[in-house]
Amino acid sequence: MNITRRNVLLGATAAAALGPIAARAQTSEVVIGVIYPFSGASAQMGVDAQKSFETALDIINKNHDFDLPLAKGEGLPGLGGARIRLVFADHQADPQKGRAETERLITQEKVCAVIGTYQSAVAVTVSQICERYQIPFISADNSSPSLHRRGLKFYFRAAPHDEMFSAAMFNFFDAMKKKGAKIDTLSLFHEDTIFGTDSANTQLKLAADRGYKIATDIKYRSNSPSLSAEVQQLKTANADVLMPSSYTTDGILLVKTMAELGYKPNAIVAQDAGFSEKALYDAVGDKLEGVISRGSFSLDLAAKRPMVGKINAMFKEKSGKDFNDLTSRQFMGLLVMADAINRAKSTDGEKIREALVATDIPGEQTIMPWKRVKFDEMGQNNDADPVLLQYIGGKFVTIFPPQAAIAEAVWPMK
Amino acid sequence: MTAETIIQSLASGLLMGLLYGLIAVGLALIFGLMDVVNFAHGEFLMIAMYATFFLFAFFAIDPLLSAPLVAAALFVFGAVVYLLIVRFAVRAKANAGMVQIFSTFGLAIVMRGLAQYFFTPDYRSVTHSWLGGKTVSVAGIFLPVPQLVGALVAIAAFGALYLFINRTDFGRALEATREDAGAVALVGIDKNKVFALGWGLGAALVGLSGAIMAIFFYIYPDVGASFALIAYVTVALGGFGSVFGAFAGGIIVGLVEATTALLLPPSLKAVGIYAVYLLVVFIRPRGLFGSM
Repeated sequence: MNITRRNVLLGATAAAALGPIAARAQTSEVVIGVIYPFSGASAQMGVDAQKSFETALDIINKNHDFDLPLAKGEGLPGLGGARIRLVFADHQADPQKGRAETERLITQEKVCAVIGTYQSAVAVTVSQICERYQIPFISADNSSPSLHRRGLKFYFRAAPHDEMFSAAMFNFFDAMKKKGAKIDTLSLFHEDTIFGTDSANTQLKLAADRGYKIATDIKYRSNSPSLSAEVQQLKTANADVLMPSSYTTDGILLVKTMAELGYKPNAIVAQDAGFSEKALYDAVGDKLEGVISRGSFSLDLAAKRPMVGKINAMFKEKSGKDFNDLTSRQFMGLLVMADAINRAKSTDGEKIREALVATDIPGEQTIMPWKRVKFDEMGQNNDADPVLLQYIGGKFVTIFPPQAAIAEAVWPMK
Repeated sequence: MTAETIIQSLASGLLMGLLYGLIAVGLALIFGLMDVVNFAHGEFLMIAMYATFFLFAFFAIDPLLSAPLVAAALFVFGAVVYLLIVRFAVRAKANAGMVQIFSTFGLAIVMRGLAQYFFTPDYRSVTHSWLGGKTVSVAGIFLPVPQLVGALVAIAAFGALYLFINRTDFGRALEATREDAGAVALVGIDKNKVFALGWGLGAALVGLSGAIMAIFFYIYPDVGASFALIAYVTVALGGFGSVFGAFAGGIIVGLVEATTALLLPPSLKAVGIYAVYLLVVFIRPRGLFGSM
């Protein structure tokens, strides 16, 4: 065994755990790498993510009376009360920078686990590097289905992926049709990186399986200076439902251009991303009354589980925003990883991986509407039930599935 | 594809193209004057958009009213950038070209970083302007009012610039300095003043574009990047140093973009722009209206 800083730390931790006096005196820490875009077009995602991870860190490192993993007591009891320290790295939404930064986190910062990344395209390279160094990676908020299908052993995702999200949308369409809504044709509008492409492929397949006609399928270049040609084509197709898969900047421009070109779809059912962002609603919320987006989080849940409201308040104090679909998943990502490290009683990559494989957290011990957190052999949690949210009167209400819904869907949008 | 779709796309392309032209004219002016490419051009656009946004957010000044103010502020900013940075960069004895490139490129990165630090990376938007969200419809063709006004402003600004260069003493001094910076010194024209004026004018034009764009585009620290890239292509397409070429280049780029998006999948619409650019460079390396 090589003598590395990590092993020395491990030895120190083990020694500290043996004696109660030593345990009190030891100040070891567990270092986790967090890789997000902190500059460039998606920098705001990174800034929000940081606040979310710091909220989770607060829950783990300090004593709180919540029914969440590691909330009670300080630090990780399995490692003698060791505190978690986060090292933030900036991938600038660039897969190659993500690769380099992950390597730096692992070799220089000596992190024992990595969490990321917002963009699925970056998660591809980050998870490959983690695999090579045998460092567990939690994909907190990436939703591309292809990510977990690569057979990586150190890849885990507690949140739903786009096939689960899209299936929820089509279940919703089926339910609405039964009630007499006219939903025959769909327009897909998606950006050209892995997120948009995977999302559209899934939606195309689901539409074919369930007998919906695709009126038009527009793949556009992300961060384009103009979307008029694209919107013109959407307008010509005039489908019953518009289904965008866009990040925030494109989402804002899409909605503005739609208004300018006089295109008002019957309904918009969005694949989250930009459509779960406060910035988008600040900019064009007045044009989005009734828009539906998928999500894995809803503040409504606070009515059933009061801790959700309290933790949201903690996050809001740091960020000035409510939890959204992304920040809530990031929050859970760190808790799930910390819980595994605690049970592994070790910072060794393989041991943490084994603990992640054995993870079984009941849904009530999360802030999500999930059944539980339990990974399949691909590292995907199939019990992370998605919800559909509708933007009504300046906030989101849960409208689907029926067991989670608190309101009936408004259909068509207006 | 209906005739309506085609006309709508071309109309949208033309409106966007005039705006691309307005953004590019400032770049062409500076290059024509002193052979320096301003790599911070996109960041000039970005601060103009932020200035417009803050005037709107804090003082409720409509972008249409603040456009002249922003243009004036950018004029001063452009002149100061020349006097503080570019003036020294062009004096470099060794690797002059590299020094010039990296001085404005460095400025771009610093401006972007400062914007992210002070304004946060949040996406801003001018929500309720007089023109925002308004559209006129002619025979089923929708013309967004902000872009329409932007196009008119672009035409007016280009006309004014043309008259300024051709009809005023300052304009003639600008032309003369452009022809031979050494000779004008002999007749008592202060080269630095003329260059500072050129930078100020170039920045004022991009400031005007930024103010108009703030009405219909989102604002964030990196917003300049994609427009600057188009501006460089526009200038090269129209002909380096030709103010008229930049303007015509902008219109061509806008129309090509719209046509490509009609014929090919929209994700490939930038390909059309660069294909036409390569074609022009291949046939006429100095650009369509270039004279060098």
